[in-house]
Amino acid sequence: MARVKLDITRRAFLKGGLATGGLAAIAPTASIGAVNGMLNAKDPWYREGAIETTYNVCDVCPWRCGVVVKTVNGVVRKIDGNPKDPKSRGMLCARGQGGVSFMYDPDRLQAPMIRTGERGSGQFKEVTWEEALDYTAAALLNVKDKYGEEALAVFGHTSGDHWFADHFAQAWGTPNAAKPSASLCLSPRDEAATLTYGSAVGGHEPVDWDGIAAMTLIGSHIGEDARNTVMQDFANAQARGAKVIVLDPRFSSVAAKADYWLPIKPGTDTALMLAWMNVLITEDLYDKAYVATWTEGFDQLAAHVAEFTPDWAAGITDLPAAQIRETAQVMAANLPRAAVIPGRHTVWYGNDSQRMRATYLVNTLLGAYGREGGMYFNKSVYLEHYPYPPYTVTGSSGGCSAEPGEEAAELPLGPTGKARADGVREVFMRGPTAMQELIDPMVSGDPYPIKSLMVYGVNLLNSIPNPQKTIEALKALEFVVAIDVLPQEHIAWADVVLPEATYLERYDDLWTVPHKTPYIALREPAVDPLYDTKPGWWISRELGTRVGLDAFYKWETIEEYLDKRLISVGSSIEKLKAEGGVITQDGKPYLEDFDGSSPFHTETGKINLYSPELAEAGHDPMPVYEPVDEPPTGFFRLLYGRSPVHTFAKTQNTPVLYEIDPENEVWVNAGACEELGVADGDYVMLENQDGARSGPVKVKATERIRHDAVYMVHGFGQNAPGLTNANGKGASDTKLQTRYKLDPISGGAGMRVNFVRLDKEGV
Amino acid sequence: MSQYAFLLDLGRCIGCQACVASCKVGNELGEGQQYIELIEKTHGEFPNLTGGWDNHRCFHCGDAACVTVCPTGALFKEDGLTRLDRDICSGCSYCTEACPYDIPVMWEGKSSKCDGCAETVRAGGTPWCVGTCPSMALEYGPREEIRAEAHRRAEALRGRYPNAQVYGETQAGGLGLLVVMPDDPELLDIPIDPKVPFMADAWQKVVQPASVGITIGAAVVAGAAAVIARRRHEEELEVLEAEGVISGHADGGEEEEGQ
Repeated sequence: MARVKLDITRRAFLKGGLATGGLAAIAPTASIGAVNGMLNAKDPWYREGAIETTYNVCDVCPWRCGVVVKTVNGVVRKIDGNPKDPKSRGMLCARGQGGVSFMYDPDRLQAPMIRTGERGSGQFKEVTWEEALDYTAAALLNVKDKYGEEALAVFGHTSGDHWFADHFAQAWGTPNAAKPSASLCLSPRDEAATLTYGSAVGGHEPVDWDGIAAMTLIGSHIGEDARNTVMQDFANAQARGAKVIVLDPRFSSVAAKADYWLPIKPGTDTALMLAWMNVLITEDLYDKAYVATWTEGFDQLAAHVAEFTPDWAAGITDLPAAQIRETAQVMAANLPRAAVIPGRHTVWYGNDSQRMRATYLVNTLLGAYGREGGMYFNKSVYLEHYPYPPYTVTGSSGGCSAEPGEEAAELPLGPTGKARADGVREVFMRGPTAMQELIDPMVSGDPYPIKSLMVYGVNLLNSIPNPQKTIEALKALEFVVAIDVLPQEHIAWADVVLPEATYLERYDDLWTVPHKTPYIALREPAVDPLYDTKPGWWISRELGTRVGLDAFYKWETIEEYLDKRLISVGSSIEKLKAEGGVITQDGKPYLEDFDGSSPFHTETGKINLYSPELAEAGHDPMPVYEPVDEPPTGFFRLLYGRSPVHTFAKTQNTPVLYEIDPENEVWVNAGACEELGVADGDYVMLENQDGARSGPVKVKATERIRHDAVYMVHGFGQNAPGLTNANGKGASDTKLQTRYKLDPISGGAGMRVNFVRLDKEGV
Repeated sequence: MSQYAFLLDLGRCIGCQACVASCKVGNELGEGQQYIELIEKTHGEFPNLTGGWDNHRCFHCGDAACVTVCPTGALFKEDGLTRLDRDICSGCSYCTEACPYDIPVMWEGKSSKCDGCAETVRAGGTPWCVGTCPSMALEYGPREEIRAEAHRRAEALRGRYPNAQVYGETQAGGLGLLVVMPDDPELLDIPIDPKVPFMADAWQKVVQPASVGITIGAAVVAGAAAVIARRRHEEELEVLEAEGVISGHADGGEEEEGQ
């Protein structure tokens, strides 16, 4: 039962004698035909010619599995997991499988364009790269001359964002660079972790799945959230007999596998965790030796949680007190091989850093950090940066690929003396740049004007809450340049559109992420860019050298850049290819690997059960449960999540993924549907508390959700005529999120504070 | 001849659809063509629910009704699996009616279903779904090894699911897809005892020879389809024969082949 990969390559090629060299020179459009039009031909694709193998890092989701790309006669045909990669281990999710289709999507942006009609009209003329780049450089310099470098905001997402939101922004001198993976996703998780045990959770959650015996998932819907490695680890852990506790208002795929499903009332998780701490402490179940050695503030915590009994929490969470007690006992029975999984998308109610702190405190009582089967310590890879001059401004865009950095004592200032415009240190305490907080300065000019925007790979109007306000900003800006692969909704609002080559058509910077076994992975092109598209590194360099940043782009080619970096680990592009595309280094995952010194980077070297930093900043030093607003009568809380077939608002148009999952549904409790006279499969409109309305969306009447909330998969309901498949399909949660609640600690935008009602009119 | 089989472990399957996508891409299936479909199954009322994912895909029956009724030999058994050669499929759609699991569908006028990645395996690969499955819910190999593994997994599952079982050892002559189920097959709407909709012998002796002819009367096909539609009663076939529906309609007109 070995999982043998297709290995016919040259052997079958030679034997079959199917040389068709002429195909290698076919035009891009013909290549698409080859994939879409030659179905069920007698010979499968792998017998049409030799399989060329290239290594890559998947870019369809932010998890970034190492992949092997199979190309025949110049056409990419199949992508599989790279067996040498610590994340994919030879396997791949549906989205990764869809990469071929993503690349050959006929709706792709195909040439640089300059706007000819009104902003938002989507009217453009195609121009040469020379013209587009010159125009962009002149416009950026014009805004800089009038308002300073800080007046440029750079938003970046997907794996090429380094070239823009980090490298270009820092060389140029704007502190206003942001990634949605920070304040629209991970910020509460990572800031709370830093405050508690001294370092961020980091891109790859350091759950020591190999030995875990009891796991608790809070809203993490493994299987629907299809991170490849996590699905593998979960399946193996459960097959070994690990206990699974799932908190979710919805009977998710993983809730269906759980030993305990706790259909908690939305927004009350902190109350539950306080009660768990109460049980662990009052029943003397916590890891006493660990707590004595590695923590500060236990007595204060014990006193704090004394009143938060299971009975107290039962009334708040809608869960039986006995179940609260029992689940805490299950965790304790398995400690330290027990952990509450930190999850990723943690921006829910605006009190999210405190909820995440509660998560970490439970884990600490379980003795999980630095223990086998609990949570290991991530280690950053050793790899030198390219030798640049010092950046004009220090970066603070954060995001899931960022190295965990120290919070600077003083905020970095741009060349004209201005710090970040997102209100950090004033409206929120700390953390990376909060993307959503940069929208208002674009409209109001407060605290200072942001007048131009460079947006790379962010689906602007389907990611940031209150997109209505983002449109106001897009109208007010003096200059907008969009770099993207697809004609996303916001592209219509750009002055210049620069079409990027996909990950399968370009080299990129080396992929490094803190991990149990730190590693370096290569992205190399499988084929030349289709159409008149260019790689992100090339676009960044061409813009940089046009605006006087030549010192930051000393390398002539990307190969030269990569080889220079790889020298520091005794490798090169060629060596890396020969070794299977991945270099792995040793990690230091457990407490004993630190030879008695503390792995916790807090001031005391211990885990802060009580946080002096929070106290000093005027926040609760230990988590407190604060009720969230209830839905008004007739309204449901709007919850959202993931489809295993789609990533954010990025893949809804990808032909093969669109086919498998073409539209989202709104999950509504079956009983509530009956009361409303709505049947399963009916289409309804959703209207939120502020009158924002969705397009028609199909109702899934189901027992699998509580009566007080509805749920939909994020990323649908896009209004982008250039996206043939995705345009107008399903409903957009983002457009119903006219409100968000700012997390006063991390700057995260809590988005589960919106309510909708079902409306059968106008469908 | 070696017998091969797939293992599908529903204790592990978490519904991520990687198999669906890998199958579509690896086999370069056309628009709307899909060999695997994941169907959510939930039982009970909130909050007392159980559920999981039915993998709607070819079971590769030992006694495959689709093979029995196929007039052209496009469907055939090989290595214990049910293959499909679309090039010689006539598009009669009998297989879609005959299958006790409702697996084959018509796609662009011809039968469409999983063929066990015959060509990919011949080329030294693993079936696309198996190679990619992140939950390792899918395996492929010699049937005896797969059977042993299925029992090992079902046994291990009983700690969590006391009713865990292996499905497919005896059904329809023994399946080439052995399924580890956490609970009874009915909970996935999968029949414990799949029934083919007619008497296979009679079919082979009577209807099939008639339909393989160069000219096939529309009435013959319509008559056969009607039988199949009425489903799985020997009596019906007897009535059909008694009424002489099968003979005497060769001048029925339109060709049914090659549509």
